[in-house]
Amino acid sequence: MDELLRDFLVETTEHIEGAENQLVQFERDPSDASLIASIFRLVHTIKGTSSFLGLNRLQDIAHGAETLISELRDGAPPTERTVSLILAAIDRIKGLIEEIEEHGGEPEGDDSELVGRIAEHAQSFSEEAQAAAAPAPAVEAQPAHDEHESDHDDEDDDHEAPAAAAKPAKAPSQPQESSSAKSGGQANAGGKKAEGGNGQETIRVTVDTIERIMQLVSELVLTRNQLLELTRNREEDAVKAPLQRLSTVTSDLQDAVMRARMQPVGRLYSSLPRLIRELSSELGKKIDLITEGADTELDRQLIDVIRDPMTHLIRNCADHGIERPDERVAAGKPETGTIRVSASHEAGQITIDIADDGKGLDLDRIKAKILANGIATEAGLAAMSTQEIYQQIFEPGFSTAANITNVSGRGVGMDVVKSNIESIGGSVSLSSAPGAGSRFSLRIPLTLAIAPALIVVVGDQRFALPQHAVVEAVGIGGQSPHKIEKLQNSLVLKLREQVIPVVTLRSVLGMEEDNSDRDTLVVIMRVGSQTIGVIVDDVADVQEIVVKPLSATIAHLSIFTGHTILGDGSVVLIIDPAGVAVSLGIEKVAERKQDAVREVTQRSETARYVLFRAGGGASKILPLSLVGRIESVEQDRIEDANGQYVMQHQGRLMPLVPASPAVDVTSRAVTPALIISIGARTLGLLVDEIIDIFEGTLDIQLDNPSADIIGTSVVKGHAVELVDVAYYLQSAFPEPDRRSLTHGARLLVVSRDKYATDVLCPTLSAAGFNVSVRGDAQAAKLLLQEGGGEIQLVLADLEEPGINLKGIADACQAAGHGARLIGLDGETSGSRHHSAAHLMADRINKFDRNSILHILSGMTAADDSQSLALAS
Amino acid sequence: MQAQLEAQAVLDDAGARVRTSAQSYFTIFVGSEIFGISVQDTQTIFRVQKVTPIPHAPKDIVGLVNIRGKIVTAVSLRRRLRIEDVENFENALAIGMEHKGENFALMVDQVGDVLSLDESMKIPTPPHFDPIRASLMSGLYRVNDLLIPVLGIGAVFDFTK
Repeated sequence: MDELLRDFLVETTEHIEGAENQLVQFERDPSDASLIASIFRLVHTIKGTSSFLGLNRLQDIAHGAETLISELRDGAPPTERTVSLILAAIDRIKGLIEEIEEHGGEPEGDDSELVGRIAEHAQSFSEEAQAAAAPAPAVEAQPAHDEHESDHDDEDDDHEAPAAAAKPAKAPSQPQESSSAKSGGQANAGGKKAEGGNGQETIRVTVDTIERIMQLVSELVLTRNQLLELTRNREEDAVKAPLQRLSTVTSDLQDAVMRARMQPVGRLYSSLPRLIRELSSELGKKIDLITEGADTELDRQLIDVIRDPMTHLIRNCADHGIERPDERVAAGKPETGTIRVSASHEAGQITIDIADDGKGLDLDRIKAKILANGIATEAGLAAMSTQEIYQQIFEPGFSTAANITNVSGRGVGMDVVKSNIESIGGSVSLSSAPGAGSRFSLRIPLTLAIAPALIVVVGDQRFALPQHAVVEAVGIGGQSPHKIEKLQNSLVLKLREQVIPVVTLRSVLGMEEDNSDRDTLVVIMRVGSQTIGVIVDDVADVQEIVVKPLSATIAHLSIFTGHTILGDGSVVLIIDPAGVAVSLGIEKVAERKQDAVREVTQRSETARYVLFRAGGGASKILPLSLVGRIESVEQDRIEDANGQYVMQHQGRLMPLVPASPAVDVTSRAVTPALIISIGARTLGLLVDEIIDIFEGTLDIQLDNPSADIIGTSVVKGHAVELVDVAYYLQSAFPEPDRRSLTHGARLLVVSRDKYATDVLCPTLSAAGFNVSVRGDAQAAKLLLQEGGGEIQLVLADLEEPGINLKGIADACQAAGHGARLIGLDGETSGSRHHSAAHLMADRINKFDRNSILHILSGMTAADDSQSLALAS
Repeated sequence: MQAQLEAQAVLDDAGARVRTSAQSYFTIFVGSEIFGISVQDTQTIFRVQKVTPIPHAPKDIVGLVNIRGKIVTAVSLRRRLRIEDVENFENALAIGMEHKGENFALMVDQVGDVLSLDESMKIPTPPHFDPIRASLMSGLYRVNDLLIPVLGIGAVFDFTK
């Protein structure tokens, strides 16, 4: 293909895209004369050059389009028909360009149909122009009248008749009559008014050239690092100064090349106005497009990957989100819906939001679909959070559309969106408010090939942590005020107001743990919205590294994102913070899969239990978390007080309760005792023998054979009974008066956290409360309504992502007697200010059992004493 | 003139040898065993200085090595054949090879002479041959009274099995 033709093709592609965008823009704002002039010029150029090159089909189509455009330029209103015809011509031109690119010449074909239609339409203009020429004086009065008409007559088609009659006056009054004239908004659509924007000269460079330069710069960076390393230890060296300069220049060069590969997201925006226009007409809806952050920059390759998902999401918003004009008006919204696409930068990632002000996601429809598709059962569904339910729409084959339109509804789109985005390491999340709209967020990491990294030391090895994920490093142990604490078998760090989950890098890597008391460092990292800490031995360095992707044989290791060569020549693996977070068990909300039905069996995750024998019959177990200590009590320490066994324990008299009447207390020299504390009450549970302490996942059947047993399970092939601590507490502390105050006080815990259901609730029951658990606001509301005023306190887990605090508070109010709402803070929610904070009577840390019991007892006692007073 | 004729004779001789379907193989020693590796697949032979271990990687992969700026995956042939390991890998001999776009360093005990093996020397692999070795071999050759299994690169570097 000769040079001239090639250049022509490249330029024409650019021009035709520009013309397209400008045309759609012009349709919305015909007052901008420069736009139509520019469009005309572009098409005129195409016509001229194609004629010169002998591309006849192109020439004819371009000519036709040019005719119509000149009508517009002369003041004809951009009616839907006119614009559509011109767009049709543009499409034909695009198609021809593609064919020429592929085959080197115009394909055989007949455009006479299209050209005919255009000519006919153009003809109609000149006819009307003649008609208009006559009643010219009457025209002057028209504009004023027409302006008032805009209030009730917004149909595009009607423009044709009055338009012809009042042609000259039309241009200025158009904005008011045009139904979707929001001149502020749509100006963003093109990004820059003039193509090639700021008057800068540009040249074309092939992608390969840029890649090659990129590669060379990477090598340069590595070599520079080596030189720096070599001269690091030498003090007075003439090399140092020039080397410093070399280093600076290399960094600048690196920056410049990286930027060359970046392109503004606005490139993606350019095709949107037309897309919206088509969607609007196809679906019969009025939609406005607002774009923001067009100059946010993204690596060229990523832009291509995002294009389709973004388009699909927009179609989805238009099809399922935005309501029809009549529906919108009925709902009190403006007739025209808005789709807003915005892009922004955020440390290491780009966020692209696609939001609409439509009717939001239909939760009930989705739920129905989930049930229909057999993804979950009724009960399972009740246990799902709203986020989890929303996320289901990304599953393959999921579509709640009643009709499958051309636009969407086949159920193949959303999952492809999700997998496309995830394939580049990004994520999709969404939020929605029924009736108000939805927002889809695409988060894409900026994978920079050269990035600064923190080099950490673990044992005798070094690893690299990408600096953009690192927040800070905190020293622990020895002199440092910060300490690592153990919480429910995992490590946490209390840093200022936050409680951060922490893991040793050694354990993540499967290396031997270091049990020495050495001072270590915790590197605090942010992964998405989570903060985690990683314990390392030391931080060696901060270096700029060239990220090389993992070799194929180890690419499956998710904790690494690549490897690199440091300045001293050693190979170092680069750790993926997201991979570490996953190994910590912190999963993204989107990924959280749900557990089986709760009602029938109570399932525990891996927990530790103490297995013991007490009397005949089956062995018994108790969660180790309830046991403070295990002691061997000598015979002479056991005293008899008022028919109850007690012993001196930590300066107080502690009741001793045999775990079974058959437990031999009197004749043994030493009796094993499990020391259990709940709130301020401590008791020693006497047993025959402690068999074992094990860790496991148990299925507990709630048969309730007797008062002292919660349920039964099977451990190593033998049946065991899970002991109910509450029963023993009652026998140890028989205080009927006190009991009747708190006994049976009804509580509702709203949480799905394992800790809440498996530890907190039994603790509360053991303390005498009547506890119910529900997974979310919906379920809570139901229970509160049924409960008929019995529930006094509602404890809401603030750690629950997406918790609908307001919903719960409303439900409390609605329940009639005003149950009080208490917030439970967890590891990270403590520092968060809750928008609904004023709705809560109090906030307690959910791990602080003593405080919880203390506060709750106080609240229920107060209530009951009131009701007692009323009763008497 | 005479010298030239003699030289030509040597070349002709060598040419004759090469003209048959014979291919060249390095002999390598692992433990007490001998194997053959095609010279064509080999890029370089070097001594490993420092190996960076890879946590969670298959055991046969010893780690990553830096060869003149290239990061290469080091594989221990001993481990691959389930032979008892060596003490450490410092200064171990390795053969740089490429397979499916990835760069490897195959660590061996010794590298011996280059042999020329052709089809006529090939013998069928006996059925009772150790299955691990059999799976890593591409053929068995007989050289005088030595049996030399030739390693198949694809199998050696395939860690999916």
